[in-house]
Amino acid sequence: MLTPIFLSIINCLSVNSDTILLSHNLDEVVISSSTPGKKRSLKGSVASIDEHLRELSHVELIRRGSYAWEPVVNNMQTERLSVTIDGMKIFYACTDKMDPVTSYVESGNLQTINLNSGLAGNPQSTGNIGGSLDLRLRRAGFDAEPWRSNISVGHELNGHLQVYGADVAISRSNVYANTGVFFRHANNYKTGGGDELEFSQFQKVNTFCNLGFRSSENSVVEGSFIYDCATNVGYPALAMDVAKAEAIIAAISYKHTYNNSFITSWETKVYANRLIHNMDDTHRHNVVMHMDMPGSSKTAGIYSLLNAMSARHTLRFNFDMYYNRLFADMTMYPDEATPMYMVTWPDVGSLCGGLSFADDIIITDKLNLGMSGKIAIQHQRLNNDEGYNAQKVFFPHMLNSYKQLTGRMAAHVTWSPNLWQISLGSGWGSRAPSVTEAYGYYLNNTFDRFDYIGNPHLHNESAIEANAAIAFRNNRLTISADANIFLFSNYIIGREESRLSAMTIGATGVKVYRNLANAQIINSSLNAEWRILRSLSWNAKLSYGIGRDDEGDPLPLIAPLEYQSSIALTIGKTRTLFTALGAAKQTNYAPKYAEVQTPAYFIVNMNSEYTKRLGRHSITLTIGIENLLDRNYSTYSDWNNIPQKGRNLYANVNWTW
Amino acid sequence: MKNITLFASLFMSAAIFTACNENDDIIDDGFTNEITIDGDVDCCSAEEARIVYNFLKNVKEIPELADTIDGTYRLHAYTASGKLQTGFNYIYFVVTKLKNANYVKDIAIENLTPIMTMHMGEKTMSHSTPIGGNATTLSDAPEALKRTWVSFLMPTAGEDGWTISYDLNILSQGAETYKKTIAVDALDDGQAWIKTFKANDNVYILSLVEPNKWQTGTNEIKAYISKKSSPITTPYALASEQFIVEQVPTMPDMGNHSSPDNTSLTLQDDGSYVGNINLTMTGLWRIHLTVRNADTNEIVAGGDDESDGFSSLFWDVTI
Repeated sequence: MLTPIFLSIINCLSVNSDTILLSHNLDEVVISSSTPGKKRSLKGSVASIDEHLRELSHVELIRRGSYAWEPVVNNMQTERLSVTIDGMKIFYACTDKMDPVTSYVESGNLQTINLNSGLAGNPQSTGNIGGSLDLRLRRAGFDAEPWRSNISVGHELNGHLQVYGADVAISRSNVYANTGVFFRHANNYKTGGGDELEFSQFQKVNTFCNLGFRSSENSVVEGSFIYDCATNVGYPALAMDVAKAEAIIAAISYKHTYNNSFITSWETKVYANRLIHNMDDTHRHNVVMHMDMPGSSKTAGIYSLLNAMSARHTLRFNFDMYYNRLFADMTMYPDEATPMYMVTWPDVGSLCGGLSFADDIIITDKLNLGMSGKIAIQHQRLNNDEGYNAQKVFFPHMLNSYKQLTGRMAAHVTWSPNLWQISLGSGWGSRAPSVTEAYGYYLNNTFDRFDYIGNPHLHNESAIEANAAIAFRNNRLTISADANIFLFSNYIIGREESRLSAMTIGATGVKVYRNLANAQIINSSLNAEWRILRSLSWNAKLSYGIGRDDEGDPLPLIAPLEYQSSIALTIGKTRTLFTALGAAKQTNYAPKYAEVQTPAYFIVNMNSEYTKRLGRHSITLTIGIENLLDRNYSTYSDWNNIPQKGRNLYANVNWTW
Repeated sequence: MKNITLFASLFMSAAIFTACNENDDIIDDGFTNEITIDGDVDCCSAEEARIVYNFLKNVKEIPELADTIDGTYRLHAYTASGKLQTGFNYIYFVVTKLKNANYVKDIAIENLTPIMTMHMGEKTMSHSTPIGGNATTLSDAPEALKRTWVSFLMPTAGEDGWTISYDLNILSQGAETYKKTIAVDALDDGQAWIKTFKANDNVYILSLVEPNKWQTGTNEIKAYISKKSSPITTPYALASEQFIVEQVPTMPDMGNHSSPDNTSLTLQDDGSYVGNINLTMTGLWRIHLTVRNADTNEIVAGGDDESDGFSSLFWDVTI
């Protein structure tokens, strides 16, 4: 008797989930398979993670080079986001943010990237104000195709980027395994006009393995392992490159599913990851003083997630705990003199435990209510005495251990009458300062040429969020608009301290992180899709953001007006897409924070994809041209305004069988 | 079962006995092997001897200053490194009785006179150097341990060498004068811990105390200001004039960046000048000095900007 109700609820939810995706502040980009209607990078599975991230709404990317772009959600950077891999916490290891955690995995490791915009994070996310990204790993799964292999080869003419990937998956009813290897290599790329951009090369190797074992009808044990190593990575926007960035990521989980009960599943996962990041200035010309700057990040954690479902509720309860250790130092070698040494991240150990809940409630078949909340306690300790004593020079009353209590709660209501969907949401959340903001020591920022010193006396930053979205969808047209506003208290940003002298030769001065009484960030976007004919559709996007500090001045790194318009034509098995995109001149730039105004730009891209199926074989051929007009341009999020790629011809092949 | 009980009780009694033995630690630190406590009233009690013994473990002996006196006593002199070097040196003295190696309580080392004899062609010239005066007892330490300091203006160089003479009085039996030739090493590059300045026709010497103990972070900076004597073969005593020494530490290898919240050195009751110095990293630090008259606040030395915009009167310390 319950089964038909159960099934119809599932049916309801699945119908809603598509539309929920539109305005529920949930977004997803699919990496590995091509499911119609789902977001995906035009370059297909061979695209880098950064290129996949670009497809998500509310997401921008800060580029310091050709590799390892930093995701920005709702105009907020890493400090205000949470990034997890399959629910596992992972923290970048470079004091200069050259290695966002998305750079330590390959697109071939992932199934999807899920984005929760704003404060309604996924159960394991902590400290997210702008949003949370969860990179979901690709598992073969049980009862899938018994054997599936895949080979991808990609090449881009600009910079001679080569991508090679191969993976294999076996699946039975009680066991599965999938494993793969990827290699990515690029030389320096050419900007519009043909000049080569020095130090934009990179190389990366990645291998992964997922195993699953069904120990009984309702019990599953799964394990994952990823090894990722990037070498000789150039960062043209910075003064140093990276000799090596290496990650080892491992997890093992146990999941029990329950039949005919309120609790549907209970998963417990134990994991660990270790990142090593070594900077390198030996290839640069005119280095004033050679420096060694290694960094390391180690995390071990556990989470336990309970899923429950009743007629109207879909509940998730989660407990998580992790311990992260971050250490970085710097040794400077002046000619013929004694080396100078200092600790830049004083071996900070952070132990954090959190409890979260989330509930999606069906009020009527047209009205949904979603609620979520989390509370987390963190204990931090500065384990390196030399680093602690050094920072004590600037903060004589600081301690070597601190506790922070953070939390978030959010709710939204979605009303879907007929072809419309209206969503309203609100929330409050706080985050503890990051290790750089609290304990960083003389970290040079090439954006504003200041040395930054962490402030251990910072208060937690908090924000109130309000969001709204409206969408109309019929069988030809989809139009949606959404906006959100974040009202911050104790916004953390660096402010100049004129009585301190800069350490880095050539730096303008020293900034110390401070809490601003308030700040505001507003994001808005407009999307339209018109299915003109079955084979012809037009898609357009427009987005705009505003950021203000406590003095009403613009915040740095807020996106200007951006637009994108594309036409897709499908003939037979080939789909061709023409895209025009660009941005207006950045009028709301922030000279107070040393931001330079970015001029407007306009780019045209073309992409064509052909898929052929022959029995169990499936071949996808993709060719395209980026920046057809070979424009020389840079966007507001290109660090130090490094130029983007000029005209780029690419082609890739994906063969699955 | 019986065997187990037996073993258990044996084990427990062994544990209790070792735990209850108060003299455990005496056996461990080598003290009783070297020093015999025989109730000699001239010498330290067991407790005092232990304190001196443990203190001396942290310093090293200067071989050329050791001496046997009357076949009964032995004089030992120590510095942190076992050597004497340019600039400030704390020197520790003890006198032990040969028969029990215990430390004699009543000793006096006075009238220390270090002399440098320089050969310039056919002429020789001699001069002394700043000293801390007669050796004194440290606070909270037994009187058997005495300390003074000598700040050498220059190292031994070829024929130019140092001698030191002092009056040693054991058990108030009468002072005897001893004179020894000593070797004074130069400091490494990047270390310059003794500087002189001229004010009102007098020469003053600034001696920085043990900056090799500094670490990254906040440190106490201590110095003595001595005045060149007349005649110059008389050891230079502490200047009677009062000064304030402002200090600005910079890193010449890094564009001369400084550190915040450094405090001036001001005169303390024991005659030393003490302040706080903040070192933000390891490496070479150049401590630029401005010496002011404590009463009038006028600059008497330094305070110019001839060293890259900072005072040309400076100490160099590499940590």
